[in-house]
Amino acid sequence: MPVVVLGLSHHSSPVTVRERFAFSEARIPAVLQSMRESGLAEEAVILSTCNRVEMYVATSLEPAKAFAELQDFLVRIHDYRDPLADEIYKKSEPESVEHLFKVACGLDSLVLGETEILGQLKKAYDLALQHQHTGSRLNKIFQRAFNVAKQVRTETNIQRGSVSVGSVAAELAEKIFSSLSDRSVMVIGAGDTSEKTARALLSRGAKHILVSNRSHDRAVALAADLGGRAVGFDDWAKEFARIDIIISSTSAPGYVIDRAKLVPLIKLRRGDPLLLIDIAVPRDIEPEVNFLEDVFLYNIDDLQAIAADYLKQRRNEIEHCEGIIREKARGVLTTRPITANQKQSGLSSASSAMHP
Amino acid sequence: MSSLTDRQIFGIAVILYGISAVYSIFLLRRETRRDNRVNYFLLLAAFLAHSYSMVLSGFSLASCPIKNLYGATTFVLWTMVAAYLLVGSFHKLRFLGAFASPLLFGIGVFALFTPRHVSEAVPNFTGGWGSLHIAAFTLAYAAWGLSAVAGVMYLTQERDLKMHKLRAILSLMPPIQRLEMVTNRLLIAGFVLFTIGLGVSVTFAHKGEFTMRGDFKVIWAAFVWLLYLGLILLRWKFWRGRRFAGSAIGAFAFVLLTFWGSSLMSPSHDPRAMPETKTNPQRQ
Repeated sequence: MPVVVLGLSHHSSPVTVRERFAFSEARIPAVLQSMRESGLAEEAVILSTCNRVEMYVATSLEPAKAFAELQDFLVRIHDYRDPLADEIYKKSEPESVEHLFKVACGLDSLVLGETEILGQLKKAYDLALQHQHTGSRLNKIFQRAFNVAKQVRTETNIQRGSVSVGSVAAELAEKIFSSLSDRSVMVIGAGDTSEKTARALLSRGAKHILVSNRSHDRAVALAADLGGRAVGFDDWAKEFARIDIIISSTSAPGYVIDRAKLVPLIKLRRGDPLLLIDIAVPRDIEPEVNFLEDVFLYNIDDLQAIAADYLKQRRNEIEHCEGIIREKARGVLTTRPITANQKQSGLSSASSAMHP
Repeated sequence: MSSLTDRQIFGIAVILYGISAVYSIFLLRRETRRDNRVNYFLLLAAFLAHSYSMVLSGFSLASCPIKNLYGATTFVLWTMVAAYLLVGSFHKLRFLGAFASPLLFGIGVFALFTPRHVSEAVPNFTGGWGSLHIAAFTLAYAAWGLSAVAGVMYLTQERDLKMHKLRAILSLMPPIQRLEMVTNRLLIAGFVLFTIGLGVSVTFAHKGEFTMRGDFKVIWAAFVWLLYLGLILLRWKFWRGRRFAGSAIGAFAFVLLTFWGSSLMSPSHDPRAMPETKTNPQRQ
């Protein structure tokens, strides 16, 4: 009984189409039931996220017939009446299995190598399993997908590094400071990117956040959101001796922090390092301050260049990952279906693949 | 291997340190966990050969093999490698070998060129204090050597961070603040050990057999003690970061480069001036 996949993702369709095909979690069991009762599927799993809607189906129908009927079912159930061109893709074995493995490994994700999709896939599989819409065929293939994801994560660099500005800044901070838990962070200019960067630092353990903004109300609001304290825009320098990381993103036309202002303040720090993250355009921090001892300045281009390098490194790993995936897909398609007893042990292995 | 002398086996160990040092250049350019494991096992193999040579040397002397400059240098080297192998058993710290290997190789080559007259310990010590004197000094040099390695790592990582190099993030090195702390603690540990060695010398050496006043090795040791004391005080009050890491490297380079010369200029430590004891000719 072959396994086929039919669906649409960020590669094939815009969000305006994807959102119309999305399934709420509560609706999925009934849809799976309906697919099986109509004879379309012997076993089925539906994966519905913000970037993809996919139906993994083990069917006794010929693939061509199965694709036509599954698409018809999908369109009908969502009452979609607009014309469709190439928005919906269809894959049969072995591409369907390889596709599932790629999805599990994050190779098909918008952010290459991201891990969130693995959790979503596990959840989709668990839902189908709980409602008894999977059998030996899909059990084996999904459990193998989780194992492959684990193998790819440990044997390749596909998930290495951060690919967003905020995460790169947090990683830099971890390369400078022994621990972020006793570090103070100051946000100057309460913009969206600075907020994300501050949140990335908080998620890595930073605890003391100060927010300074021309509009004090905005500073107070963001400080409350981040669990920090607001500081008057003209008073931030007074706090400087205690600050270890500054995230600056004001809309000031000139430098907010320059060498002349920084030199006397640096002396108060007694050699403690200072990380300056300048994500403002035009820049808030004079570039020359990077020449000061124990000062590390990164502007938006520096951070984006690092994120791009990471992404490039991940792309370089794709071939390696695909090699593993092809081999594992070939293996799973040439072995016998999994037995009922093996299903439970496979579930625990799937769980460990997500929580090593 | 039993037909080889302890010196030849040590030579094999040095060759392995050398291979590790060359491999480290590759590692520092492109660091991966698997490659660090290879380097770890290279150093482990070198360490085993090195240990075996020390055992043979000990049997040939029928005592602790730290009886001359060769013995002292190889013991310093052995201590540093043992410390690395212990730390490197944690896979996240295994990369330290890439920074340590060139220094280990350098010390190994230096040891091969040192003479191995086995001297009656001059000055002599009462009881077992002579062993403590030697052990404290050699462990101090090992701690300072490791401190210098941590200093090199600090400077490398700090420079990469300043220059916005991606490898600063990709590197498996600990944060620079921790590297600076490790440099400082090892430097202090070395200073304490060195102070113990000096204290033992002053208190328990037989004063009748040599005079400390004017002995170049004693002056040198006092200078080294003051140099490291100064570094510790400067770090405490003024110097941090790059300057401190550079100073730790510079101080150890000074010790390494002047150790041999200072021994030659000291009547109490010059191996050429010492009466040679008989050793097992099979092992020479």
